[in-house]
Amino acid sequence: MKAQFLWVPAVAIVAVATPAYAKVYLSVEQAQQLMFPGATFTQQPLTLTGDQVHAIQKASNTEVLNPQLQLWKVSTGGWFIVDQVVGKHEFIPLAVGLDDSGAVKSIEILEYREAFGDGVRNPQWLAQFYGKRNGATLTLTKDIQNISGATLSSKHITDGVRRLLATYAIAIAAH
Amino acid sequence: MRCFLKGKLPACLLAVVAMFGITTAAQADEPLLGFLYTTDLLPKHGQEVEQWVTWRHQKAGGRFDLLEGQTEYSYGATDSLQLSGYLIYDWTQAYRNGPDGTTTPPEPYSAYFPAPYSRFNSTKFIGAAFEAIWRVRSPYTDPVGVAFLFEPEIGPRFQELQVRAIFQKNFLDDRLVLVGNATWAPEVRELPGNPYADPDSVEFRRNTNIETDMNFGVGASYRFTSNWAVGWEIQNEREINQWNIFDHSQWMGNAVYTGPTIHYANQHFFATLTWWQQLPIAHNYMDPTMIVHGYDTDVDFEHTRVRLKVGYYF
Repeated sequence: MKAQFLWVPAVAIVAVATPAYAKVYLSVEQAQQLMFPGATFTQQPLTLTGDQVHAIQKASNTEVLNPQLQLWKVSTGGWFIVDQVVGKHEFIPLAVGLDDSGAVKSIEILEYREAFGDGVRNPQWLAQFYGKRNGATLTLTKDIQNISGATLSSKHITDGVRRLLATYAIAIAAH
Repeated sequence: MRCFLKGKLPACLLAVVAMFGITTAAQADEPLLGFLYTTDLLPKHGQEVEQWVTWRHQKAGGRFDLLEGQTEYSYGATDSLQLSGYLIYDWTQAYRNGPDGTTTPPEPYSAYFPAPYSRFNSTKFIGAAFEAIWRVRSPYTDPVGVAFLFEPEIGPRFQELQVRAIFQKNFLDDRLVLVGNATWAPEVRELPGNPYADPDSVEFRRNTNIETDMNFGVGASYRFTSNWAVGWEIQNEREINQWNIFDHSQWMGNAVYTGPTIHYANQHFFATLTWWQQLPIAHNYMDPTMIVHGYDTDVDFEHTRVRLKVGYYF
């Protein structure tokens, strides 16, 4: 049948489409030692209550995707959190280190599974968050510079950090 | 072009796809929906090759199928301007599909006049098109995303210009995407005389057919898990004879299509499958005989449309 030729390009594209592989930059342990060299880490089981989720969402204007926190107390002071934010196709796992006062000490992107936009790993871009604490407005294009061509990732990382700072103030500080 | 010679098309199309088979980093402008556009574009220097196959099926009766193929290459000129070029080629079969029981080829084959009760079967290069999409507002940093599409298409004795306004609003961490599209598309066809037409009619002689399409569509897409999204679209399609869209005496078909979409995307590949059905609420103001059981059966309308899009970023 002559119509068969119409499927040839489609089949060709599917044939060359390779499976996607996540690019893993750091393991959790590597991120911990990078942020807090020489420290030891004690995992703190913490599940947010409904009221806490509501309060965090209200304070950060960002949805809490998972009430179960991956949280570690750092022997030298501070907290280490592993979280994830929505990416273009998949979640973006990241680690956030907070100092004793709840200010952002460091951020590391653990994996990046998108074809473009890994500029969010740029240390200079991430440094915009350092020293920020709960209550900082942290809005993309105003307080945090946008990465052109990676707007969605930039926006969701910004929202995610704002949410984690609210999480610290509402649930972690008193833990 | 030699590429368009009958029998060599499959090899030529493979070559078109193969010549873009270079792997570099790029981003998605992957279509969440089959027929409606979002304001998401390739980033600067991003590249993509995309293949569409659209199956249009069933008219008033008899047998009718049209397979439309489109092979497209897109490039991100800037983060807010995407340029594309593509080739369109069709295959069709029709047999006694018109409302009066005669064989009526689809619109891209308007220059073909088969005997009224014969079987019609043809493969045709339809044309080449250039597309520019300019995003003026991003849904990620502005309250509403806004973009404009300009798409001139040229083929043998055929020219069309499509202008589309695209609106996008995101919710739920950008996992729920609402879109609205408004399209204005005038087209001009140079037609030979139809030997089966009334000798006193315009159609009997060589003539120029001018038609304007106006479409208004809304859709939603929801990413329910990593890599996968489902969506729904609905579009009102109107055809107007000549240019003046406000001249009611020139209004022709007015139909509504709707249906679901499933979409998959990963780092470099995407696929989108959409099924549209015409709702039996159509009107044809100029020729009411075109309405059969509530469906418009004119040359640009059919009962069912199924579109598969696959693409690769590099």
